[in-house]
Amino acid sequence: MSLRIFKSALIATLMGLCVTACAVIPEAPVGPYSVGKSYQVTLAQPWNDVSLIMNARPAKVRLLSLDGPLLNRLYLTDGLVPGDFMVKPAAKERPTPVYRKAMSASERVEFVSDSVAALDYRNVETTGLRPGKFGPHSALRFDLTAQTAEGLNMSGTALISEVDGKAYVLIFLAPSEHFYAAQMAEVENIIASIRPKT
Amino acid sequence: MSFKIKNHLSLGVVAMLAGLSLGHGAHAAAGPHTLRVPGQMPASRTDEASLWTIMDGAEQVAKASPDRIKDPALTGYVQSLTCRLAPEYCKELRVYVLQRPAFNASAAANGYIELWSGLLLRADSEDELGFVLGHEITHYAENHAIETQRAAKLRSNVKFALSLAVNWTGQAVAANAGSVQAANDSVHTASAIKELLYLGNIAAYLQYSRVNETEADQAGLERASLAGFDPRAAAGVWRKLIDENQASDFPSRRNEPVGSSIFSTHPINSARMLALTKAAQGAVPTTPEQAQERRRAYRRQIRPFLSAWLADDLRRRDYGQTLLVIDRLSSLGEDLGVLNFYRGEALRQRRSDGDLAKARAAYLSASLYGDAPSQAWRNLGDLALRDGNTAMAQSAYMTYLGRAPNAQDRWIIDAAIRAMNTAAGR
Repeated sequence: MSLRIFKSALIATLMGLCVTACAVIPEAPVGPYSVGKSYQVTLAQPWNDVSLIMNARPAKVRLLSLDGPLLNRLYLTDGLVPGDFMVKPAAKERPTPVYRKAMSASERVEFVSDSVAALDYRNVETTGLRPGKFGPHSALRFDLTAQTAEGLNMSGTALISEVDGKAYVLIFLAPSEHFYAAQMAEVENIIASIRPKT
Repeated sequence: MSFKIKNHLSLGVVAMLAGLSLGHGAHAAAGPHTLRVPGQMPASRTDEASLWTIMDGAEQVAKASPDRIKDPALTGYVQSLTCRLAPEYCKELRVYVLQRPAFNASAAANGYIELWSGLLLRADSEDELGFVLGHEITHYAENHAIETQRAAKLRSNVKFALSLAVNWTGQAVAANAGSVQAANDSVHTASAIKELLYLGNIAAYLQYSRVNETEADQAGLERASLAGFDPRAAAGVWRKLIDENQASDFPSRRNEPVGSSIFSTHPINSARMLALTKAAQGAVPTTPEQAQERRRAYRRQIRPFLSAWLADDLRRRDYGQTLLVIDRLSSLGEDLGVLNFYRGEALRQRRSDGDLAKARAAYLSASLYGDAPSQAWRNLGDLALRDGNTAMAQSAYMTYLGRAPNAQDRWIIDAAIRAMNTAAGR
């Protein structure tokens, strides 16, 4: 490994430190919260919009959290078109799941669960697949279980809907102990509040 | 550290490896090429004792990892192979099987060995696994870790110092984020840094490993041979890795020698394979029947995990490599329902030109065997429906529901069948 690469690594490190140390995390206040140009949800309590510190995030993915992303995280995507991913690959040789045209229902569920796995969660499993609603549109709704790399049990719920060839995804993840159940009512309200922009 | 191909160590382990430089070498008992005395413990306040403490920590991480496979049959099996290869160290070597799709094994100075499922999936027989374990046991028996530590310290090279600096800074980032995972997925900058850190540290750590690796190849082969494993399997392990690299979907991976890139200290090449082939000359040949029986015996051990490990392998999304692994596994003529199903999965997920038709054929092949997962019929139905073949779609869906009456997607399949009936005027 050349000295030049290590210099680059050091610079990247310092930049990373600056991002984590210096970034101001905006609040997503009570009320309507716009997810791109397509739709909005209504928040009943203030969330933190940690999207900005998701460096190299796909532009269409927003991340909200109440107590920090380790304790609860809510991913909301704007309309994904074929070829889009929810998790940006760290390298070309390590691709992440991409949304594709004409996915079957099981492939849409697979896209979400594999995207969660690509976030370094282990043993990701889906349960309780059921009909859901994305505003006026039909959606697939299901629950998730997983573990962090350190072994913490996580629970989650997810929704994916295809509207006019675009996929809209919502994923909520939190530790199974206390945090998941504590925020589920708020998350259900958020899901029920989805309103496409006209 | 020895047998790593494209692995993904956690930052914690990277830090532990980096921590090797913190030891003090003056009073260690073990010297270069000195075989470890069974039961030998490092003297206190030595560099070796420091190394053991660090590796004890790494072992605890492995032990508590959600990736750890605790199945008593499998862990007992690999532990028994280890004892067969190294009866003198049987009581002090502890093998942990981790469900991770990369081809990797490693032996730590304190006697803990990691064996990853990606390696177990790719080994063709107990003979190949015996060579890999023999290789790792050699690192332990010949105290390679402490040699490497001392070599790195003596060199005091800039790269190593820089990599440590990067590592320490990165740990601060991770600490700031709350955990390695937080660094990894909520702040992607940290993830990129972690990668650089990992590569930087391993590169520094492996600077002197070329000699050790050659020793481990040769002595590992001898050890495997003495324990009754076929020594000719050794070269085959490397051959498989080279072939798998060539089968990659990614040109950059195809163009690199196996074990190269950052691990350029000792790429797996034809010279290394030739050395192993030469060393195995003179061994009593195994008959084809014996070889086949050994493959079958090994498959019986890993059969309960085939599905989970193949599903993991698919998540690497290097479908060319996964398909090659499936082809190899299929050549035994067993588990064809499972293997054809995952062939279909790989092709369906890749979706290159013609892949969906091939996927459909693979699911159809799977459906001929009793061990095919029920999802083979569902996916067959999905593909048939996509092609407008409603007769096949309906038949496949019905079979799926018959085999998995409580499937969580039953309501979707029922709706699809109803829609097809309505469209057909039934």
